[in-house]
Amino acid sequence: MRLKGVFSILTIFSLILVSITVVLAQEQEKKGKQPQVSTAPVLQEQLVYSWNVFDGKTYTAGFIPKSEDTIYLIANKDNAISAKKTLVYFWPITGKYMAGWKTLNEDVDGTLEILKDGKVIKRLKKEDNVLYYPEGYWGEKALFYKDEEARKQYKKYKKALDGYYNALKKYYEARIEYRKKLDKFFKEVKKRREAGEKGPLNIEIPKEPQPPKGPNFYVTEPKKDYIINLPPGKYRIRVRARDKTIVEGSEKNLFVFTSRRTRGVGYEIIPGNRWTKKEQCNDPASIIYAAGKNVLYFRPYFQDEYNELYHNKLMDPQNTGRVENWKWVHTDPIKDVILLFYGRGNLLSKIVEKPYIVQQIPGPELGYNILEYNKKDFPYKHPTFSGYQLVLTEKLPREGYLIYLEKKGKSTIMPKSKREIRIVKKENANLLYCLSIFPLVVGGIVFVTRWRRLR
Amino acid sequence: MSNRELSLSIRSMKILTKRELLSSLYGWGIYGAMFVSFLVSSFIIRNFLKGIGENNIFISSYPLNFPLFISVIVISLYLVIVSAVSISREREQGTLEVLFYGPVSSSSFLLGKYFTDMILYFIITGFSLIYFFGVSLLTNLGFTPILLKAYLLSIFIASCVISFGLFISSLTGRVRSSIIWIIGILIAFLVIWFLQNIFLYFPPEVLSPPLRYVQKALSVAYYFINWISPFSYLSRGMESIQLGSPKPFLLNILYSVIYTVVLLSLSVYILKAKGVRI
Repeated sequence: MRLKGVFSILTIFSLILVSITVVLAQEQEKKGKQPQVSTAPVLQEQLVYSWNVFDGKTYTAGFIPKSEDTIYLIANKDNAISAKKTLVYFWPITGKYMAGWKTLNEDVDGTLEILKDGKVIKRLKKEDNVLYYPEGYWGEKALFYKDEEARKQYKKYKKALDGYYNALKKYYEARIEYRKKLDKFFKEVKKRREAGEKGPLNIEIPKEPQPPKGPNFYVTEPKKDYIINLPPGKYRIRVRARDKTIVEGSEKNLFVFTSRRTRGVGYEIIPGNRWTKKEQCNDPASIIYAAGKNVLYFRPYFQDEYNELYHNKLMDPQNTGRVENWKWVHTDPIKDVILLFYGRGNLLSKIVEKPYIVQQIPGPELGYNILEYNKKDFPYKHPTFSGYQLVLTEKLPREGYLIYLEKKGKSTIMPKSKREIRIVKKENANLLYCLSIFPLVVGGIVFVTRWRRLR
Repeated sequence: MSNRELSLSIRSMKILTKRELLSSLYGWGIYGAMFVSFLVSSFIIRNFLKGIGENNIFISSYPLNFPLFISVIVISLYLVIVSAVSISREREQGTLEVLFYGPVSSSSFLLGKYFTDMILYFIITGFSLIYFFGVSLLTNLGFTPILLKAYLLSIFIASCVISFGLFISSLTGRVRSSIIWIIGILIAFLVIWFLQNIFLYFPPEVLSPPLRYVQKALSVAYYFINWISPFSYLSRGMESIQLGSPKPFLLNILYSVIYTVVLLSLSVYILKAKGVRI
């Protein structure tokens, strides 16, 4: 016993840890996570599932290779999935399998069966579906439409696009006409000036035609996929071919999960002293600690909280993650609100959203200025970001402050938008050690009192 | 058990508790342990403030909770060792046998030890409240209602650690072996808990492959000790505070109570089965 005991405990724990590590490493190797790759990637034909799935904010495209056995989806949302044959290769730089869609992209026909507890609960046929980007092709937000609605939306987009092309054609014609008129105008001016005419010529200046604006939304071409929309739970999927056999390699686990907390309010904070290093204040329990003078730009978002592992696997099944961790996913920026800044229960300021531009300081030295953007001062530039500017001055008493979001014109505070800002007294940090001595002082008093009593 | 036996048992438990309590309060150990725990907390808070100073802005959820829980761990370790020593010493010196010839039963003896530690913890909590209130005044980190919630939770965490210590000391015979076992197991649990929490801050993609395996191995080890280690109750408790929802918070308290009751019952059973001699 004695010291043997502690050694044996530590040895047992070390052995357990080492053996778990070895087993995990062997499993990873078996799964073929890091095959021996020399130079050219080895292409392998595989049956994979490709998809467009809802990721909490928008729709993400991806695929699941043979090496992964579980597909992760968000519950109660439409997700488009297709079984395909493609060439898969390992890309050592990212450590992931990639799909060579351009070389081989063959649809696997059949019915998708969804099983729960070994029983088939759904049989899905492929349906038309589109993604509708309300903010245009580069917009982040996407809406999913299926079946008749998908075809309708695409038709609407095609019509808008045709209208745009017609307008464009007319614009180019008008532009040719304009050039002609402009040439005529210059010739006329030249002629009359050469004739000795002075003063205003009173010739009508041709009006430049304005280019038409394209559709402000974008709709993808309809494609046929299985549309999966399920409540949370564990399922299995497989493709049954027309000859009623199960397509080899099509069986996968399906894990459908949901958010733990929804419709929260998160903030992206741009500190004025290092604007490229943005801070996230997503958790409602988070407190913003500031050391003193600074300018903070707040950008509020709606957000949902997902399990880190499940969400990472949803984005790419080859991703890793920790099941113990949770992450906030920003869904939409919050518009039409005012930021309220409170101190000691009093409203100190109401801050509105403004666009800002970051300008490098001229010269070789590093540095920048964040200025309020307006078209007059910066006619050929776009704002770098927009946000709610909160100025923390040195005059502010070092105590706690609160921020809230208020809906414009409604004077109602948005739930879950409260955050605390505390300006800390960092100069007192060393005094903390003095504070920790006080139990010894009390102990000393007790000791002396008892000693006197005993004497 | 008759009413007379019960009242005798309670009386003997009270006497034992009083004796142990006074002995602890008149000694230097408790004040030393508090000093060490506050010193560690001061070190953590000082570095936190330094971090804020360097970055000008720092976002964190309840920075005082972490030093508080570290302080709880230090104090609980002290309490556990003290009670383990007292049980083993009484067994080693034969006073336990003498006590058991009287109206003292295994349960009243162990409960006496448990209540002594818990009362000591309440006294220490008073000191801790003064310390953290002082910290809050000095630094403006904020003495929030959430911190009080953390204090409430800390009582149950301390109860888990104390009952775990009593359980281990009921299994062992001599003073030295019980200390070694308790320190060994608790340090192993602490290391796993601490490393697991450290790894949680790093996304797997930033870790090198060996570290990724270690992270996974720790995750598996943590999974197995999840309901055994008292520090897992601390993690769950911290998370429940962060969530702000009363249900997980109350559930965690309930789990801690169940943990305490189970371990104390097992300790009583083992003490009865093993007898009072080494």
